[in-house]
Amino acid sequence: MVKNLRYVLLLPALVFALAPVYWMLTISLKTEVDQFATPPPWFGFRPTLAHYYDAFVTRSFGDYLLNSAIVAVASTACALVIGTLAAYALARFQLPWSLNRRLSLWILSTRMFPAIVTAVPLFLMMRDLRLLNTRASLIIVYTAFNLPFVVWMMRGFFAELPRDLEEAALVDGDSRLGALVRVVLPLVAPGLAATAVFCLIVSWNEFLFALVLTQTDAAMTLPVGIAGRVTQFEIKWGVMSAAATVAIVPILVFALALQKYLVRGLSMGAVKG
Amino acid sequence: MAIEFRNVSKHFGNTLVVDDLSLEIRDGEFVVLLGPSGCGKTTTLRMLAGLESVSSGDIFIGSERVNDVPTQHRDLAMVFQSYALYPHMTIAENIAYPLRVRKLDRAQRAGRVKRVAAMLEIESLLERKPRQLSGGERQRVALARAIVREPRAYLMDEPLSNLDARLRVQMRGELKRLQHQLGTTTIYVTHDQAEAMTLASRVGVMRKGRLQQFDTPMNIYNHPANQFVAEFVGSPSMNFVEGRIEAGRFVSDALQIPLKSDRLSGPVTIGIRPEHIQVLTQPQDGAIAATVYVTELMGNETFVFLSVGPNRLIARAPAEFRAELESRVWITITTDKIHFFDQKRNADNTD
Repeated sequence: MVKNLRYVLLLPALVFALAPVYWMLTISLKTEVDQFATPPPWFGFRPTLAHYYDAFVTRSFGDYLLNSAIVAVASTACALVIGTLAAYALARFQLPWSLNRRLSLWILSTRMFPAIVTAVPLFLMMRDLRLLNTRASLIIVYTAFNLPFVVWMMRGFFAELPRDLEEAALVDGDSRLGALVRVVLPLVAPGLAATAVFCLIVSWNEFLFALVLTQTDAAMTLPVGIAGRVTQFEIKWGVMSAAATVAIVPILVFALALQKYLVRGLSMGAVKG
Repeated sequence: MAIEFRNVSKHFGNTLVVDDLSLEIRDGEFVVLLGPSGCGKTTTLRMLAGLESVSSGDIFIGSERVNDVPTQHRDLAMVFQSYALYPHMTIAENIAYPLRVRKLDRAQRAGRVKRVAAMLEIESLLERKPRQLSGGERQRVALARAIVREPRAYLMDEPLSNLDARLRVQMRGELKRLQHQLGTTTIYVTHDQAEAMTLASRVGVMRKGRLQQFDTPMNIYNHPANQFVAEFVGSPSMNFVEGRIEAGRFVSDALQIPLKSDRLSGPVTIGIRPEHIQVLTQPQDGAIAATVYVTELMGNETFVFLSVGPNRLIARAPAEFRAELESRVWITITTDKIHFFDQKRNADNTD
């Protein structure tokens, strides 16, 4: 009974969350006439894949998709490797002058101002490094942007793990790094997965730096590419919706695949095991 | 391998946890470090393992000074109080871990794991995960992981304290046999004096970071170096009475005991083990009158708690001994078994 009531209450929330997605999906499948019909045909329209063809064959959205994927995966991987090592050090080694706390706060402070503040300096730096319009520039920036998040998340997960296990691994003859890889990381895998999903989503959706640092198809990512279809002459609703629909898919699949870990990872910090 | 602590101290901030510890452990010995919680025994073990740094002094394994040798290169094996089994690995993988990091090939690893598992009778558990095991089984796995290679020494940090009483006694016996069989130097930390007495070839009693006495269990029991050791070892605990020696007699408010030895006179605390007090139901020449406070029948013997003036004494009596509460009894004390403790030095020790 209570369970049924719960579903009834969930329904409005679900509609609220999914309606825009449904709208986007139908727009991407409608002919331009249907797109602007009043009242809008909710279900009974004749679907077309023309916009998908237009976006990914005629135009370069295939390239943008590839750029987005490479940038998101590479920056997430970099942020995880660097951030996990930093977090482990901060969680386990007692540094002098209360550096553990100070370094952690310093790392966090890089997220305490609006991102746009760094846009111009980053543009100038990337220009001087001749990295404008390259994927590398975005990978570097996204890694830096995700690092504080990774460090703080992982530090919490490490801090909860009993030290005994690593100490046992050391006495058993393993190195610090070996113990980290073979004993510690498998145990914080849910946390690592949750952190990875967040990094990936942030990088995948990032718009501001991608807009500032890329202007050509060589490195342009999907969000910038989609926004670029809003021009002073026309708004390509069909193409934009088709590209946006495709953009949702990878993150959706990834999040579903890691759903089990995601829930555990997010609650890991809450309850002591 | 022989192990030596030479003037080892350890500070945590301003707290002195281990104070100028010197200890020589011979090759193949089973040494138990005994003491109440917070006495520094676990810190001592962790310093030997390299899990804590040494503030001052030197630690040697064999002839090698290991102060600056990282844990993984000290070639020791340790059994943790929590067992510290790797939860994501099967039992076989747990036991094989020390071999895996030493890059033994798969076949050799499997062979060694099998042999050790057979020794500890855990062959049927090899494919399971630690969380599916009972406390006693986990304990065996932790031991198996320690003995799967031949380390220079075994370190054990209260390995039996998480087991129930019956299992603890059983594992205690098995540990002793195992160590005898392997002949490897073992250092074992516990607060349980029964484990210390039964397992050790020598016991080091520690208190507040200081080594109080390091000797065989028999000598610790029969010739305790000070009142702390005397009180900590033995169950029920030794009786203490404060008083003074006057003209060959021990005199306190309630009790006078003629002594055979001609000890110096002056204030003294005497210690009497419960088994050296005989309880009589009839008066006898030279016996001291006492009142029964309570009796505890243990099955094979009876502990008699007695009031003698302001003093409370415990005596061991045969199982058949019966006495009403508050009834009058008489006690005799085996005078040549009385221990004498300097009151002034004890005052120092109780700081």
